[in-house]
Amino acid sequence: MRESSRQIFVLVASFALLAALPWIAGAVGRPDLVTLGSQACVMAIAAASLDLLMGRTGLPSFGHAAWLGLGAYTVGILAFHARDLGPPWDQWAVQAWAVWPLAVLVPAALAAVIGALCLRTSGISFIMITLAFAQMFFFLFVALKTYGGDDGLTLRRRSTIPGIAPRDDVAFFYVCLAALVLVLLLLRRVAASRFGTVLDGIRQNERRMMAIGLSPFPYKLAAFVLSAGIAGLAGALHVNLFRFASPDLLHWTMSGELMVMVVLGGLGSLWGAMFGAAAMVVLHAVLAQWTEHWQIVLGPILVAVVLLARRGLWGALGGK
Amino acid sequence: MSALLEVRGLAKRFGGLVATDGLNLDVAAGEIHALIGPNGAGKTTAIGQIAGEIRPDAGTIHLAGQDITRLGVPARVRAGMTRSFQITQVLMNASALANVALVEQVRQGHSFRLWRPAARDERLLAPARAMLERVGLGARADVAAEDLSHGERRQLELAMALATNPRLLLLDEPMAGLGTTESAAMTVLLAALKQEVSILLVEHDMDAVFALADRITVLEGGRVIAHGTPAAIRADTAVRDAYLGAA
Repeated sequence: MRESSRQIFVLVASFALLAALPWIAGAVGRPDLVTLGSQACVMAIAAASLDLLMGRTGLPSFGHAAWLGLGAYTVGILAFHARDLGPPWDQWAVQAWAVWPLAVLVPAALAAVIGALCLRTSGISFIMITLAFAQMFFFLFVALKTYGGDDGLTLRRRSTIPGIAPRDDVAFFYVCLAALVLVLLLLRRVAASRFGTVLDGIRQNERRMMAIGLSPFPYKLAAFVLSAGIAGLAGALHVNLFRFASPDLLHWTMSGELMVMVVLGGLGSLWGAMFGAAAMVVLHAVLAQWTEHWQIVLGPILVAVVLLARRGLWGALGGK
Repeated sequence: MSALLEVRGLAKRFGGLVATDGLNLDVAAGEIHALIGPNGAGKTTAIGQIAGEIRPDAGTIHLAGQDITRLGVPARVRAGMTRSFQITQVLMNASALANVALVEQVRQGHSFRLWRPAARDERLLAPARAMLERVGLGARADVAAEDLSHGERRQLELAMALATNPRLLLLDEPMAGLGTTESAAMTVLLAALKQEVSILLVEHDMDAVFALADRITVLEGGRVIAHGTPAAIRADTAVRDAYLGAA
């Protein structure tokens, strides 16, 4: 797998544009654009992690929002309890270096158990069972009144990162952008590795993979766990961005939105998820200003992209 | 000496249809054993059960003395028995070389490496190239599988099965869809393999079967109606009536 020069140009231009976003926002007098950019980066991380499952391994998980939400609540709940804890735990519970890895590990560990159950099925059953587990988590957090129930949980202040002021939105945008770049480079590396080659094989022809002596289950489970962990990181960034975690983050409509981002960007294209996520976030912001029934406009746009650009935005931008 | 593959009393029923009815079959080490019979005789179902894709209702399967009746497909491959498919099953958008390299990677058993790129790994590519040379696809290594001709894909199918380094190959119609020249080339190729690997061959091309097989088993309605050397099968009147016709 190697990008064409046109694709490299598109990527460099896109990341240059993102990196310059705070200046552009300042120049046009719209500081809220920085938050929009952070949101696009965060959703891009979540969508890219789902693409590892849907696009590369051929596992259409309809419960990916659960991992996003669990990552967010891990950070939120630890911060919520920080004051009750004695030193040094009270400090650690709000430090990014301590709680963000936990926001990766908690969803990943749960995904190891839930994935082991879900992966006994395939096709429509897999879609339904992942949806069911995610809805279970959704109702769990709605029921947990201690953590706000369906009102959600407020994060008093952002996780502490040495050298970065907690209220500096521009600095936090660069944290999100750096996380996105690291995640994409990691996923690209994984895609080209022996492990990624096996995932490709499982998606394209699982019967053949078994016939050459490969048991697909451990590889599918590993992809499921890795994908959940990365979505958990997106969740940790999300709760920090808005200083708020809500059960809506785990709702099935969020899982659906993530799937739309992946398909819109170009299924299995790795870089595409980023463009799908950015397009969704921006369209949502623009259309919601215009009408509260913004999804009526979004629908036809999605249909047009899926019909006209078969390989999604990435296919249209980057060519073959 | 016991046979490499021993099938005893294998039975499979799909609803009212008896697909395999008490099948006994031996493949000796170093032989090419052909399984023939008219359409619907249960050859593909039998191969499916031996390979582990279909669970038999009754009967046992032993490979080199080991009971493999309850093992799944991947475990049987690791035990030394690999099948090829009647309809070519390769990764179409990958090159011929990448297809075989993937098999080599699975055989080496190091597929949990997440970091180093696989596409330039000589430990995979060198054996894969050698295998493609062996089946006569050396010059076409870098062509995507979807751009190979039908005959070349059949060669690739064989290369992938061989790359698992099996003791027993289950070949499901390797000549399917091949022209006369291509069939002859495939026959030469299979004959040359006989030195290293035993073969259970399901095939409709009778020229190939009689040229290659050491022994032949004839199925009809899921039952063995005859088995023996090619000469004995050719002379068998029951086989002539059921299958070979006026040949």
